[in-house]
Amino acid sequence: MTHEEIELTSPKLVAVLDMGASAIRLVVAEIAPNRSIRTMEEASRGVLLGRDTFSLGAIRSRTIDTAIAALDNFKHIINGYGVTEIWAVATSAVREARNVDVFLDRIQRRTGIAFAIIDEAEESRLVFLAAKQELRRAALRAAWTLLTEVGGGSTSLTLLHQGQPNRSAVYALGAVRLRQQLDLRRLTHDVQVAVLKRSIANVIDEIRLDNPLRRVSHMVAIGGDVRFAASQILEGTGENGVREIPRDAFLAFCDQVERLDEEQLVDRFRLPAVEAETLVPALLVYRTLLSETAARKLLVSDASLRTGVLLDVADPGGRLSAEEFEQQVLASAETVGHKHRFDRVHGRHVMSLATQMFDAFRDDHGLGDRERLLLQVAALLHDIGIYVGLRGHHKHSQYLLAASQIFGLSNDETAVVSNIARYHRRATPQKSHLPYVALDRQDRLTVDKLASILRVANALDAEHLQKVTALRLVRRERSWILEIDGTGDLTMEQLAATSRADMFANTFGQELVIRRGGVRS
Amino acid sequence: MIDVRVSNPDRFINRELSWLAFNERVLEEAADPATPLLERVKFASIVASNLDEFFMVRVAGLRHAVADGDEAPDLAGLTPRQQLAAVGERAHALVDALYRLTTGELMPALAAAGVRLVSWSDLEPGRQVALGDFFRDAVLPVLTPLAIDASRPFPLLSSLSLNLALRLDAEPGETEHRLAIVQVPPGLARLVAVGDPGSFVLLEAIISAHLSLLFPGQPILEAAIIRLARDAELELDDEGGRTQLEQVEREVRRRRRSDVARLEVSADASDDLVALLRGHLDIGADEVYVVPGPLDLRVLVGLTDLPGLEALRDPPHQPVDVLATVQEADFFSLLEKRPLLLHHPYEAYDPVIALLAEAADDPDVLAIKQTLYRTSVGSPIIASLQRAAEQNKQVTVLVELTARFDEERNIRWARALEEAGAHVIYGVRGYKTHAKICLIVRRSPHGLKRYVHLGTGNYNERTARMYTDFGLITTSQAVAEDATAFFSAVTGYSDPPRLKKLVMAPTELRRRFLRLIDREQRRAKAGQQAEILAKMNSLIDEEIIEALYAAARDGVVIRLNVRGICALRPGVPGLSANIEVVSIVDRFLEHSRVYYFMNGGDEEVYLASADWMTRNLDKRVELMFPVEHPEHRAKVLYALRAMFRDNVKARWLGADGQYRTRLRAPDEPPFRVQQHLQDEARRLASLARERVGVILKPEERNRPRERESTIG
Repeated sequence: MTHEEIELTSPKLVAVLDMGASAIRLVVAEIAPNRSIRTMEEASRGVLLGRDTFSLGAIRSRTIDTAIAALDNFKHIINGYGVTEIWAVATSAVREARNVDVFLDRIQRRTGIAFAIIDEAEESRLVFLAAKQELRRAALRAAWTLLTEVGGGSTSLTLLHQGQPNRSAVYALGAVRLRQQLDLRRLTHDVQVAVLKRSIANVIDEIRLDNPLRRVSHMVAIGGDVRFAASQILEGTGENGVREIPRDAFLAFCDQVERLDEEQLVDRFRLPAVEAETLVPALLVYRTLLSETAARKLLVSDASLRTGVLLDVADPGGRLSAEEFEQQVLASAETVGHKHRFDRVHGRHVMSLATQMFDAFRDDHGLGDRERLLLQVAALLHDIGIYVGLRGHHKHSQYLLAASQIFGLSNDETAVVSNIARYHRRATPQKSHLPYVALDRQDRLTVDKLASILRVANALDAEHLQKVTALRLVRRERSWILEIDGTGDLTMEQLAATSRADMFANTFGQELVIRRGGVRS
Repeated sequence: MIDVRVSNPDRFINRELSWLAFNERVLEEAADPATPLLERVKFASIVASNLDEFFMVRVAGLRHAVADGDEAPDLAGLTPRQQLAAVGERAHALVDALYRLTTGELMPALAAAGVRLVSWSDLEPGRQVALGDFFRDAVLPVLTPLAIDASRPFPLLSSLSLNLALRLDAEPGETEHRLAIVQVPPGLARLVAVGDPGSFVLLEAIISAHLSLLFPGQPILEAAIIRLARDAELELDDEGGRTQLEQVEREVRRRRRSDVARLEVSADASDDLVALLRGHLDIGADEVYVVPGPLDLRVLVGLTDLPGLEALRDPPHQPVDVLATVQEADFFSLLEKRPLLLHHPYEAYDPVIALLAEAADDPDVLAIKQTLYRTSVGSPIIASLQRAAEQNKQVTVLVELTARFDEERNIRWARALEEAGAHVIYGVRGYKTHAKICLIVRRSPHGLKRYVHLGTGNYNERTARMYTDFGLITTSQAVAEDATAFFSAVTGYSDPPRLKKLVMAPTELRRRFLRLIDREQRRAKAGQQAEILAKMNSLIDEEIIEALYAAARDGVVIRLNVRGICALRPGVPGLSANIEVVSIVDRFLEHSRVYYFMNGGDEEVYLASADWMTRNLDKRVELMFPVEHPEHRAKVLYALRAMFRDNVKARWLGADGQYRTRLRAPDEPPFRVQQHLQDEARRLASLARERVGVILKPEERNRPRERESTIG
């Protein structure tokens, strides 16, 4: 075997680091040329970043040192394997810290590891990616399934309908966050549990409004604390995949654990102190959610953010999984559409036209795949405001969308989508439009570009008859010519689109001429 | 919730008395005329050596507890004072029996076989003259006689050293007899050949005959041999790592008070001499053991090594070479096909040594990680690790420095490994690392391959020929992941991991055992057949024993093979009628730890480095691993069940705390489990050879014959 052949066929070694609210975790894995993943080692070190962030708003210097020490140790492990790639991500405890930049800079200078902050949507995407394997199970496809991850900083919920993400949201309900915000230390154990239960119940009320919890027949739980519970409740050794805990057994275990304070937990289960701190709050969230559902058992998955990152890394380009992910987002968006009785055929057609335009103008708008997806969601749902009333329906669309939960979209992204939809007709963005002004500059620019496209695409289906079937872009020196082809008379469409191309010209600085195909100037 | 349970003497057996009972069983082996003579002598010397350790560790601890006013009863309801009294009585009886056997039977039998210890007075005058020359040339220069008087205090005699204690006549003008001490030089051989082949005189006898040369002009009234057992200071074994403060406290206490746990005196000592010694050492009459024969019977082992006595020994043990029929080019490719389960000493330890040797020389091996608790002098395993480190492989060795009485030896080779470039970790703070695991990481075109060896015994090829242990070599992905995580945790790189296949103490092992026992109990309650089989060295954990009692009451059949201490009281109606306890003491030291749970037919078999002892479960880093390959499971289970079929070397523990052999029915053939397992291993090996056909392998010459043995 020649040297090159070895290079081609040997697996590569990657390390994934995940900095959460209560621990820094490492996984070292081998990725084979066929993209299969083999875990070599997992390690974790309790570092309570969330304790600082959620109570002080910033990470203290001493905690930063602890994090650096943990990473130094992990580097020993990583170096032992000859790892070639390190992927490091950080979530809410770092994201929300005031001194995030200083923190990450110190880490990078001391350890050489550059952490990327990932937002909630990316987090749910990666976790979903990891859990997807297990969701192939038939039982989960046939029912309403709730995918739940209780982390140190937040709780992420994804509601699946027949295996497809229906909606998802991230709630500021984390085990470390709860402890800090409720300032539990000064209370006796019994009072602590009571306070925790009350504040969890408040968030669950909110969750119940967004999700038909009673209809949920399967609940999948992800996270270190619930994995620990599973290991204690179930006999024998758990291998990979899903472990099933009967509802009663899980609730009984929670009852038992709730009674123990941290010291007793350490004593009883020989848990590291940090894990003992998060166990009770986390299990309380799971148990409250489980009690709200009709699920007869809790399915505990080994999926994690880290395995999600690994899957992403394993597939270089990530197109496949990203495409699948887009499908999930759009499916979830359609659910929102149905809820508002939208014209699905029109929505889909406009989406298709807008996508074609987006792709044709890629070099000009300079936006990426993520924005493409935002445009698609906005195009699909631009008319949902009609559900409230035809008059000013673009404004109704804006606020309905802003309040919607679409799987895979962060709150910021949902705000962008709602603005794009708002400008699909009538006024262009103004200083007096609060939802628009509330966006940061970058996002406003994105709205400008994508709304310009959506306005034209929507006009091309002004009659909701889907007559325009093909678009072709011709670049001229001073202008762009968009040739439209389709069935029947396209005059209406041409006129409508021409009148809506105003914003496009302003945004891109070049006139857009709409012309029917086959007609030469 | 704190469980307040009144200790109950009917429920538990005192651990010290149980330990003495074990040594009584070893002594029975020494007394068994069916055992070859030199093996009997070895068993006798093992009892003596075990007693030394017992006094230095356990009795010293009890004496401290009494001195501290500790009145807390043990599991069996005995206070330290009561324990000390009971232990004293039984230990005296044991020592008496040991010497009765040694001087009354074993030494005469040795003499009949041509091996004798000759007393000085029995030597011909010519021999005495020759030995006198030897004394003046070789012994006298290294002797330091110490006379004791008001200005010169009693010297701090080192533990277990041999000394002569002399009573000197009073100085002119004084009335008090004086005491003097001469230490028998530890560097000189204690057995001195007297010319006739097989005849020896003890070094202390030669010194004793020449004392007048040491104290010229001073009338010597008498001389006797004495030996002390002191509190073993470095002893951290039993209750885990002591805190710094506790150590300081101990040291202060030690200075205040005598730390002598036992004084042995040769039988010729007068009451006056003993009284003088007791006064100086501040000990009671009970702690004095007057010994009618040579002190420190370990000396007899030297006699058993003499050539030409093959008929008086067990035939040399020839372990089966399981690799004899293997045709793979290298060991690594063999392992990729199937895991390997080894049962030592019936099967040779060579594969483990070969694995490490191959790993050291294989250019594709990147890393070797290994725990070492006790190992042999000149260990080939350490040589391999050293070679691997010198070739820039990543070698990580977790050395347990505080392995009882082995500290100094461990420090020496640990330094050598460090110098070769290995990463040596000297233990885990607060816990003693007792787990036996080795992980080898090897590069292949298809990615990294990992090979894991897990065992119930130490990485010591010498004891592997004398101790029964299991070892598993596997490439299982889940086990390899766990092994890797284990090493990252013990090297301090990560928090204790949640393991998939392995179970680790002090984090999980206790709870896992309790859950496994509980599961059998629930199955029994549900009307299913339920059974627990377990094999270990000692059983003294209260929580586990209570769980076993509870399971037994609900109908779980529990059969325990406990070689040594057993605090569980079996066969008590209403408590433990379903539990039987059997102990095997035979040629090989039973050392493997095996745990079996019927689990409603989905049987689970585990092997472990840990006993059901509180210290193993809470104060040590231990590993348990499942035996998953069906063939392996059958093999382990077969050996485990065979333990209960033994009707030759097995003793059953009764509800009264006594161990008894079972009477064989007249037509019942004898069944000796160790012999049976050895025959079985040979039979299977020859079957395997037949399957493979003819293989010609050169026989190794001069393979050193292993004839040591220890029990303890």
